[in-house]
Amino acid sequence: MTDAAKPAPVPSTPAPPPPAPADSVNLTIDGIAVIAKKGTNVLEAARTIGIDISAFCYHPGLPIVAQCRQCLVAIEKNPKLQPSCQQVVAEGMVVHTNDAQSSLARKQQLEFTLVNHPIDCPICDKAGECTLQRLYFDHDNANSRIDTPKVHKHKTVDLGPTIMLDQERCILCSRCIRTCDEVSGQHQLDFAHRGDHEVLTTAPGEQLDNPYSLNTVDVCPVGALTSKDFRFTMRAWELEATPSVCNGCATGCNIEIHHKQDRVWRLVPRHNPEVNKYWMCDEGRLTYHGLRDHRLAAALVDGLPAGWDRAIRAAAELLGPSLASAPRSIGVVLSAEHTNEDNFALAKLAKAWGVTNVYVAGKPEVPSRADGRLRVADVNANTAGVKLVAAALGLPATPIVELSADVRTLVVLGAELPGIDQAQLAELAIVAISAHERGPVAQAKVALPAAAWAEVAGTVTNAAGRVQRMHAAVTSPGQALPAWEAIVRLAQATGGKLSFAHTREVFHDMTQAVPAWKALSWTREARPLALRFAGSRG
Amino acid sequence: MAAPTTPPTAPSPGDANPRSLRQLVLGRKDVQDLSDAEQDLPPDLMTVNMGPSHPAMHGTVRIILTVDGERIVASDVQPGYLHRCFEKESEHATYTQVFPYTDRLNYVSPMINNCGWAMVAEKLLGLTGHLPKRAEYIRVIVSEISRITDHLTCVGASAMELGAFTAFLYFLKAREWLYELLEKVSGARLTHSYVRIGGVGKDLPDGFHDDLTLCLHQTEKIMVEVENMLNNNKIFRDRMAGIGAITKQAAIESGCVGPIARAAGVDYDVRKDYPYSIYPELEFDVPVGTTGDCYDRYLVRIEELKQSIRMLRQCLKQIPDGPVMIADPRVALPPKQDTYNTIESMIRHFKHIMDGVKVPAGEAYAFVEGGNGELGFYVVADGTGRPYKAYVRSPSFVHLSTASQLIHGHLIADVVPIFGMINMIGGECDK
Repeated sequence: MTDAAKPAPVPSTPAPPPPAPADSVNLTIDGIAVIAKKGTNVLEAARTIGIDISAFCYHPGLPIVAQCRQCLVAIEKNPKLQPSCQQVVAEGMVVHTNDAQSSLARKQQLEFTLVNHPIDCPICDKAGECTLQRLYFDHDNANSRIDTPKVHKHKTVDLGPTIMLDQERCILCSRCIRTCDEVSGQHQLDFAHRGDHEVLTTAPGEQLDNPYSLNTVDVCPVGALTSKDFRFTMRAWELEATPSVCNGCATGCNIEIHHKQDRVWRLVPRHNPEVNKYWMCDEGRLTYHGLRDHRLAAALVDGLPAGWDRAIRAAAELLGPSLASAPRSIGVVLSAEHTNEDNFALAKLAKAWGVTNVYVAGKPEVPSRADGRLRVADVNANTAGVKLVAAALGLPATPIVELSADVRTLVVLGAELPGIDQAQLAELAIVAISAHERGPVAQAKVALPAAAWAEVAGTVTNAAGRVQRMHAAVTSPGQALPAWEAIVRLAQATGGKLSFAHTREVFHDMTQAVPAWKALSWTREARPLALRFAGSRG
Repeated sequence: MAAPTTPPTAPSPGDANPRSLRQLVLGRKDVQDLSDAEQDLPPDLMTVNMGPSHPAMHGTVRIILTVDGERIVASDVQPGYLHRCFEKESEHATYTQVFPYTDRLNYVSPMINNCGWAMVAEKLLGLTGHLPKRAEYIRVIVSEISRITDHLTCVGASAMELGAFTAFLYFLKAREWLYELLEKVSGARLTHSYVRIGGVGKDLPDGFHDDLTLCLHQTEKIMVEVENMLNNNKIFRDRMAGIGAITKQAAIESGCVGPIARAAGVDYDVRKDYPYSIYPELEFDVPVGTTGDCYDRYLVRIEELKQSIRMLRQCLKQIPDGPVMIADPRVALPPKQDTYNTIESMIRHFKHIMDGVKVPAGEAYAFVEGGNGELGFYVVADGTGRPYKAYVRSPSFVHLSTASQLIHGHLIADVVPIFGMINMIGGECDK
């Protein structure tokens, strides 16, 4: 979608060529001629010409079960209505989605679905992005004809650590069951009982606790499954969406940051067939809490708050003598947690200073995370990018554990120095540029507040070498600035001859320097999309 | 007022009386200290401010007048003090949420603005002509009442500014009766937000027929009194007749509409020329003036008052029973009873309120005869619940652009009746 940047170095599969005649079939949907790839289903073929056939159980990332019967269409020479999600396109097929028969089927199906649906919209977390609301309004919009009491089920079923289930709201589409099967590979949900007593449930004594469980909340077309993290915190339609990339690990799942009033309220996956398809892990989803925890909001000198000017002056005084006499006593630490631009600015400054002790740091690996799906052991967003940036400038990117004994002063990007113990830290004079106040930042001589990932425009490079663009969703707290800007200020105070006025300029300079990124171009900032007027994406 | 720019005469060498303290401190002389020649009006042009907060100006508008003595030789009319970004704000609100904004355009006749906005959405939705008859009648009734309040205010205030305070009090008394009536209808005295896409918010209250009949009767009596006071009043005619005249050609060229254009002889009334709602079913005449001056504008407005009363009487006779809102579920809110008790109506209610009435993509211009003339709304819709772009053709804004031309050559005192009869409404002009 808003991938900045086409990843030149990735040996990605080339774009599929336009379907060859042998590979495609011709059919007619509502009088419009459609050329579809062989094996496509009618529902997808209709979407290519802008006809959105109503459906609950169909999800493009999940196996097809044709269970909700909401997508029935009339196909000529076929006596019965067919579920368009399951019906594969065939040469010469003539489909009607808007004739009396299939319109009536849609209406009746919706009426049927609503028979036992509770009147929960005002208190339902899905309201405003609910598929049931959207389809009812667009396809039925008729008054209730029911005069019998609704069947009641359990309204608060604690399914596991992340999710609550409201069985009344469930319309039994089985999307969540298939999501667990497909995304996490664990069959943790299923239906029990029959008829209007049928409910979604886990096996007795079991929990829905797989690391991808929150995807079930996204795919739920109603408010049956709600995230414990998000429920009752914010009305969905009041949020604004900004496209970004998850910084939780090296996979770089594409996400949307949902924010309001300068605060992030949730992260949801954004479709990218090359990276994360429709999904992301629960851990990644909750990384937004870090945007408000232990933030460094003011520059610190010797642990006390100071203005930017004083802090930069203090840093320059600290570095000045060594820069003049013994650059070998200075070490520069790049961060696998920060963007390509931040790291490029710092690497360029190290080069200008003549510093050769350049290290890379980041959060330590978590081998137990790796599952061959989306989660990998490297929990830093930009390990691959840092290496490329350092290499392009002819600098080493030594792991921080191999810190040279010569180094007395350390300029650190980020808040991580894994493998450096307290005794070593105590002997070092540290200038830290960090979004968080923890780790080495607490002991730094000078700490400069940096903006965190959701607050900056920039790019990160995932484990596969794909450079992905992030957009700023919220403003940074207090005095925090994008890290590259802090680096530029530091450079100008130490005669480092670094001058950038915009992230875009850093990016341009960087793509000139890194051979693999020559073809990348900067895209315009994405305007936040008001979900209220986004057509109820459901 | 700026001081005369005549250079102060240097005291003669032998002058025993040095410059007074006033002259030293303030840089100007007392009049008695000036020479005879200097005591005459200064020959230079003078620049003075009128407004933005001036008791005789309708709304907040600033005019920088360049005067030769009392005569205006140039003027710079500067509106915008009441700009509230109506058009831009509309892009961030649902179609229904724009109604309260339209109330604040011409706030002397908000009902007409409401109708215009509803009509543009209805045009895009394809509902024009399909509204229930009763809703159309109610819209015309409240619009014509609003036209009466608009003209009563305009004429009354202008008369007051020329010294005829009684006429003002009489007309405002009548206006208050009508406001009270509209308050009974809509719940609000001034900002009604009464019209909805597809009809009106609620039916007329009990006893409305009798109330309106009585109001019209009393208003007519007051109009007779005020006309007797003003029509042949020497002062009133001297101040109005021949003042601020505009030719038919100039009126057309500058886009004048409504009473101003009609006073100049332009026979244009949206209700007749592009009939909408149930106006084709009503009998009424469009008064047209000959001279295009302030007095003709006054006469046109007085006649329009009578025509509106005539129309209202016909409406009261003809109004049918029935629903006041179209039954189309795309635009009609479900009844509250259903909303709280059935999921179907709950969803529809939710979608209407949160997502707004979904207006199909396209663009449309709908216009009505407002108190000041053709009031048009132009909307570009993108298929969502809010306008992609909105524009209002506000007659006040167009008329104000002629103000400079109209006051040219007149005395400062004439600005007041000219502005009064332009009837610039700040909310509508500044949007």
